[in-house]
Amino acid sequence: MHRLYAAQLTKVTSAAGEVNLPDLAKVVSQSYEEADRDRTRTQRAMRLMAEEVEEANSKLRKTIAALQVQNDRFSAALDNMSLGIAMYDADERLVVANQRLCDVLCVPPGSLSVGMSYRDVVAVCTEAQHFGDALTKEIYDVRRRVFKPGSAYHFEEPRGNHIVAVTTRALNDGGCILTFEDMTERRKAEAQVEHMAQHDALTNLANRSRLRNRLEESFTRANRGESFAVLCLDLDRFKAVNDTLGHAVGDELLRAVTARICSCIRAIDTAARLGGDEFAIVQVGVEQPQEATALARRLIEEVSKAYEIQGHTVAVGVSIGIAIGVQDGALPETLLKNADLALYRAKAEGRGTWRFFETEMDARMQARRRLELDLRRALVEREFDLFYQPLVQIGTREITGFEALLRWRHPERGMVPPNEFIPLAEETGVIVPLGAWVIERACEEAAKWPEHISVAVNVSAVQFRNPGLVDVVTAALARWGLVGARLEIEITESIMLQDNVTTLGILRRLQRLGVRISMDDFGTGYSSLSYLRSFPFDKIKIDQSFIRDLTSQGGAQAIVSAISGLGRSLGMRTTAEGVETAEQLTQLRAEGCTEAQGYLFGRPMTGKEALELLSVQGPGSHSFACA
Amino acid sequence: MLCEKRTWTADGGWVGRSPNLRDAGLVLYFGDREVLAEGSWLEDLHGTYPKACFIGCSTGGQIARNELLDGVLVAIAVRFAATRVSLADFEISGPADSRTAGEAIGQALAADDLSGVFVLSDGLLVNGSSLVAGLGAVLGPSVPISGGLAGDGPHFKATTVGVGTDTPREGRVAAVGFYGSAIRLGYGSGGGWESFGPSRLVTRSASNLLLQLDSISALDLYERYLGDEASGLPGTGLHYPLRVWNPAKPQHDVVRTVLAVDRNAKTMTFAGDIPQGFNAQLMHGRFEELVAAAAEAATHASSSLPPTAESRQQLAILVSCIGRRLAMGQATGDEIQAATARFPPGTMTTGFYSYGEVAPHRISGVCELHNQSMTVTVISEAPG
Repeated sequence: MHRLYAAQLTKVTSAAGEVNLPDLAKVVSQSYEEADRDRTRTQRAMRLMAEEVEEANSKLRKTIAALQVQNDRFSAALDNMSLGIAMYDADERLVVANQRLCDVLCVPPGSLSVGMSYRDVVAVCTEAQHFGDALTKEIYDVRRRVFKPGSAYHFEEPRGNHIVAVTTRALNDGGCILTFEDMTERRKAEAQVEHMAQHDALTNLANRSRLRNRLEESFTRANRGESFAVLCLDLDRFKAVNDTLGHAVGDELLRAVTARICSCIRAIDTAARLGGDEFAIVQVGVEQPQEATALARRLIEEVSKAYEIQGHTVAVGVSIGIAIGVQDGALPETLLKNADLALYRAKAEGRGTWRFFETEMDARMQARRRLELDLRRALVEREFDLFYQPLVQIGTREITGFEALLRWRHPERGMVPPNEFIPLAEETGVIVPLGAWVIERACEEAAKWPEHISVAVNVSAVQFRNPGLVDVVTAALARWGLVGARLEIEITESIMLQDNVTTLGILRRLQRLGVRISMDDFGTGYSSLSYLRSFPFDKIKIDQSFIRDLTSQGGAQAIVSAISGLGRSLGMRTTAEGVETAEQLTQLRAEGCTEAQGYLFGRPMTGKEALELLSVQGPGSHSFACA
Repeated sequence: MLCEKRTWTADGGWVGRSPNLRDAGLVLYFGDREVLAEGSWLEDLHGTYPKACFIGCSTGGQIARNELLDGVLVAIAVRFAATRVSLADFEISGPADSRTAGEAIGQALAADDLSGVFVLSDGLLVNGSSLVAGLGAVLGPSVPISGGLAGDGPHFKATTVGVGTDTPREGRVAAVGFYGSAIRLGYGSGGGWESFGPSRLVTRSASNLLLQLDSISALDLYERYLGDEASGLPGTGLHYPLRVWNPAKPQHDVVRTVLAVDRNAKTMTFAGDIPQGFNAQLMHGRFEELVAAAAEAATHASSSLPPTAESRQQLAILVSCIGRRLAMGQATGDEIQAATARFPPGTMTTGFYSYGEVAPHRISGVCELHNQSMTVTVISEAPG
């Protein structure tokens, strides 16, 4: 009998043993109802639970889908990074590896994949020759330290023929994340930049900075008793090549010269290009000064050989200045400066040669420096003055004008001749303000003269390189009320050697002002007829050296005759310079020369004297009654 | 220690043998609320046991011997050989007073030789967790606390507690303290409920008020699971107690039972705290499991008493949840029989179906409120 039924029966049975059937039916029925309710409850709970589980599953599926999307995004982000990434779990299993990993590590694509052990990965790298001859075990044993809790490393190492930056960080869960960056290109570029910072781009020789470093090293070695030499080289006539054949040829020439220089030195020596056509060599580890002499001789011989460049045969020379460390200077700058002084001397003494530094060179340089300071001061202190030498029409013997000649009244040294200060003024640029002053002053003086008397001014090549020349002339003419024709600009051939287009432009602008242009000292330099053709000069001045030799036997007469003829043909006047005797004048007249100047007609005189000369002779008859 | 049981009905008055223990020190009584409100039983008892301390409450059914009795009052008189007892009580007007009540009673009973406390409380106006926490805070962990919350059958309308000569009334908490070294107390508790369905997160709650689980209304969830029985809330809510645990201490789970619902505010009031952030899972009862758990609680309580040289009388007070009775229906008697079968001969069994049970946790040992469980308190005295 069921325990419950037994209990129910007991409950409805009286003490006398009588069963109350209606009560029994009631309790039994109740218990059925209770069982029904319980079953209903259980079934409902089962159904709801299933619904809840389904709902939870659906949420999970959505979450999984969302996570998958997020995962895909992370993967895309990881795969598009420039870094290679490898993440390991606590069991040293690769759990994350992006696509770049194989690229950066230069291992075959797909050779590293999730699930591999760290040791397997090391093995793949070992096989790819990342670690030279080292064995996988050796590398693995050392590198496992990246998993050590709290550890973090950053280092750069060669891996095969690549340079890879490695960053590691141990993770809290016992795993580790490693990133790899390919530094090969960056390091190469840095090396390139460093090379560029130390080398000349055109010739790939060391530059001034690297030369300085090498000099410092040489000084260090010199302390151990090793002597060394610094040779400063400057090409002769390079500028002419550059100007006439163009920069492309000039650059190629510099490379060719570089090759020859390098052929003369040993690997332990250093050749540098200091700029333009200046080079320097540090010669080390040999006996000095004998070896420097030998090297200089070799260099001159080699560099001076002709070059074939773009169809041109080009010849340049080289001048060399030599200073010996440490006797000629205790610092790199001093030694270089002194080698440069020696170079200056070599150039001054005929080019194509070499000179050793001597102490007196330095003294001379100091003197030059003082002169430069004096020059600048003189301009401010108005120590300059103009003298005027008459120019005479040979046919009429009338004065047609004066050539203005610059003089410097030095407060201590007295009158300084132009050849002592003009080159320095040109070199230092002082010539620009000085030249402007000359034009201004000459115009001022000419304004006092009769209107048919002109003034001639010499203009330096340096002034022609300065764009302000035309403005200076325009302003001076305007200020002193002179027509352009009363100013004559005398230029030398060297001006025509400069950038031709610019020079011709300036000459044409001057000519448009009415200013007349003379070719000075014709016959002494290249005397290229192409100059005469390229610009309609008003006058050719025949150098005094030809006039001096005019009466003696030789070619001078023929030259004077030729130049005079040339002038006639081209419609240019010709002026003979340095005419001192009546014979010379007679001969010049016979050759058809149009104008003369020289002691025969008067030495250079002050402005006041020139004005007196003009007034004595009276208006319209400024003539000299010479023989 | 000697005990005797007496029963009383409104119709038939006192039944059973005439009383012997006139000098009993303690009388415990349990009865239906309606029965307690009737007649002259209290004066009779005082007359019978003039020296005794009286403490009792309304219930969801009385336990006497191995039976479940309705419509009667059961009283147990106890005469201690060497144990002193003392009463304390506190009036509360709502759950917010619960901790204060616990502390006040704790302070009233506290003494160096206090060996244990048995507490009875209003079952609807109290937050049982706070009450026990208040008691425990004053008495400390060495004084075990057991007892239960008064019941009201399946009605959940009013519960009453009586103390001393006062008739049982609402809003009262009363407790008896056992003093001296002779008293022996054993405890056991068991649920047997099985959790089912997903584990949920308590996302909105305030002490024993639960609003949301997994961010949806907890009341909606209960109504869904109860279906056509939802109209019977809060009573039918006892079919689905909640297992509640701190995710950090999943072993220390407690079972919470519904006491009240507010459909407007969408709140459910439970017999103890349901902290926000804790996990919760619905439970349901299978008869066999509930019965087995009751038997195990009885075994545990008996075995936790130190063995005595000779067999002596002992009192076992079973406090079992009304939810168990609702779940088991007519089979409820099975769990009483299963439990009493585990006691040694000479054990007098009493108790009641309650709205909440108090006993030390079987794992943590911390005294706390249990729900939907059977708790067993076994009392005896060491030989004098």
